[in-house]
Amino acid sequence: MIGKDILGLRDLDAADIHRILDTATRFRAVSERAIKKVPTLRGRTVVTAFFENSTRTRLSFDLAAKRLSADVLGFSASTSSTRKGETLMDTARNLDALKPDAVIIRHGAAGAPHMLARAFPWSVINAGDGINEHPTQGLLDLLTMRDHLGDLRGRRVAIVGDVFHSRVARSDIFGLTKLGARVLVAGPGTMCPPELAELGVELRHTIDEVIEDVDVVMMLRIQRERLGRAMMASSREYARFYGLDLDRLRRARPDVLVMHPGPINRGVELAPEVADGERSVILEQVTNGLAVRMALLYLLLGRGAGEGGDA
Amino acid sequence: MPERVLLRGGRVVCPASGRDGIADVRVADGRVVAVGEGVEADGARVVDCRGLVVAPGFVDLAAELCDPGDPSREDLQSGSEAAAAGGFTTVLASPATDPVVDTAAVAGDVLARAGRLPGARVAQAGALTVGLAGRELAEIGLMVEAGCSALSDGGRPVADSLVLRRALEYARPFGLPVLLRPADPALEAEGVMHEGPAALRAGLRGIPPEAEEIGVARVLGLVRRTGARVHLTHVTTARSLAMLAAAREEGLPVTASTPARHLLLEDSIVEHSGYDSRYRLLPPLRPAADRRALVEAVRSGLLDAVISDHVPLTPVHKELEFEHAAPGAVGLETALRAVLGALDGDPVAAVRALAVGPAAVLGRRAAVEPGAVADLVVFDPDTVGVVGRPARGRSANEPLMGLALPGRVVATLVGGRFVVGPIPN
Repeated sequence: MIGKDILGLRDLDAADIHRILDTATRFRAVSERAIKKVPTLRGRTVVTAFFENSTRTRLSFDLAAKRLSADVLGFSASTSSTRKGETLMDTARNLDALKPDAVIIRHGAAGAPHMLARAFPWSVINAGDGINEHPTQGLLDLLTMRDHLGDLRGRRVAIVGDVFHSRVARSDIFGLTKLGARVLVAGPGTMCPPELAELGVELRHTIDEVIEDVDVVMMLRIQRERLGRAMMASSREYARFYGLDLDRLRRARPDVLVMHPGPINRGVELAPEVADGERSVILEQVTNGLAVRMALLYLLLGRGAGEGGDA
Repeated sequence: MPERVLLRGGRVVCPASGRDGIADVRVADGRVVAVGEGVEADGARVVDCRGLVVAPGFVDLAAELCDPGDPSREDLQSGSEAAAAGGFTTVLASPATDPVVDTAAVAGDVLARAGRLPGARVAQAGALTVGLAGRELAEIGLMVEAGCSALSDGGRPVADSLVLRRALEYARPFGLPVLLRPADPALEAEGVMHEGPAALRAGLRGIPPEAEEIGVARVLGLVRRTGARVHLTHVTTARSLAMLAAAREEGLPVTASTPARHLLLEDSIVEHSGYDSRYRLLPPLRPAADRRALVEAVRSGLLDAVISDHVPLTPVHKELEFEHAAPGAVGLETALRAVLGALDGDPVAAVRALAVGPAAVLGRRAAVEPGAVADLVVFDPDTVGVVGRPARGRSANEPLMGLALPGRVVATLVGGRFVVGPIPN
């Protein structure tokens, strides 16, 4: 059931996910017109509250809301500076006084969007919370895969890298398993602990152990600046065991999809010629991100406004 | 003034003397003077206790009363009242205050003020190390002279094993029990809930149970080495219990307790509550298998005591994202209800875990028998009610709020004086 908020793919079922993806497919057409705007959310107010740095996600939400004619206001604040001063709840009370219809939040702490969703009447969309979830990224990944592969049941998807600390991976895993895909994960032992099997994925170690077997390979960004103590040895060693280069890509199925949530560390998890190569659908992911975010705003705020006529 | 009271017709539960049956209890001059059937009132005020349990007052071993230092969270007055509301007649105050109770001067100040409290008695634990920092020994002997009843670092594990060894060696001949929360601090530093499937689903960093279990193994080894009398507070995993059982078998002088709420709540509640920071606790809530093992260990007596683990925190500390909120919860007012809820309402096991066991850790006897100090609790073990906001304590970080639990404290007597109740006849 799609309720007031979108907090994670953990809370959605397969029917919900397909409904969102179907809606996104229709909204994709809006962005291909000369006049890329529909009046669906006219008079509605959408706030983007980003407590962590973001370029593409914030731009994408911004544009999604604007293409639906919502009023958008946004702010960025680093978690550290707000922690020194105003609490998240106080910031949210101030937002509440402005009577928004939806708040899109990215925050460094898992559960921050859930806290706001419990406390306030407006819709909350999680744009990434700690290492928990990044549901819109998960949905755009699913849409990209569905476009190319159709039904995902029985398809095999490898997620490679820091799976444990990746909110993208977590949303992908929840979404893919719900749609019946098989998920293989590979990465360093500190980032792919055996307990990940609890999420219904199959555990491997190096990229060589997954690359030949899969329809999709999702390469995660390695974020050295965010890693805790003693998580990895060096970028060189990482690339050797977990990076995707052309040699490895040649051993994959010829129609394999190479995906990445961005931004890419070229030469670490992804060789440049692979990132820019013909199997890469990374820029399609970005386009689909806009459509998915329009769909979610529409489904949360625009129901009753007449989907068919507007989209 | 101590009253002359006859508690008539209650079920007297006194595991220390083996009594469990309907009896009258007469109290005079601050002491129990008669226990039995058909005790004459002899001019005493008669309180009808039919349908209620009359038991030795509860003793808590782990409560932060935040005095001196932070009256917005709690102080001796409010802590004493909250304890009495929960049926406690003695609370051992944690040295985790500001300033820390690590000198005779601070201990003496607290104990002087503790002489005139409206509720439960307050005993004081002195710090094991200066500033609870785990580096230098505190003036243990001088704090013993000042009247401290136990030693602890207020739940902060002494990280350096050499310092811990020396502290145990130094403390042993002074005769006070040393209370320690077993933990490997580095291993628990990055996590915010129990590491396992629930944390994985919730996307929160985990604290591996081994952080506690390595702590248990380390403390037990040093107890074996030093012969110090140690009480492990906050024992919360099945493997910790197994190590404890082996140590008992071996004859080591070690006792142990667990927080009351850990008998009732499980780690999955973090996700299901939408990351409610009331469930941010240290040690964290555990999965069902551990919780069941804890309940069984209270039943069997392997765990000597259940603690309130009372850590009052205001919205300043709690109205935050789950991982940024301070760990801890209040518990003095609800410990009995948590224990009864977890033990299917068994009042005998509850009285053992809340009164007899913890009193013995402090070298005292909790009993309802002639000559005993009249520190007593009268409670209704059966009536189920929804836990509300704490009535007496200053802070509302109560994770049991909203749960329907049995147990209601009807009266608490400290030195023969009603500090809570009784209901009018």
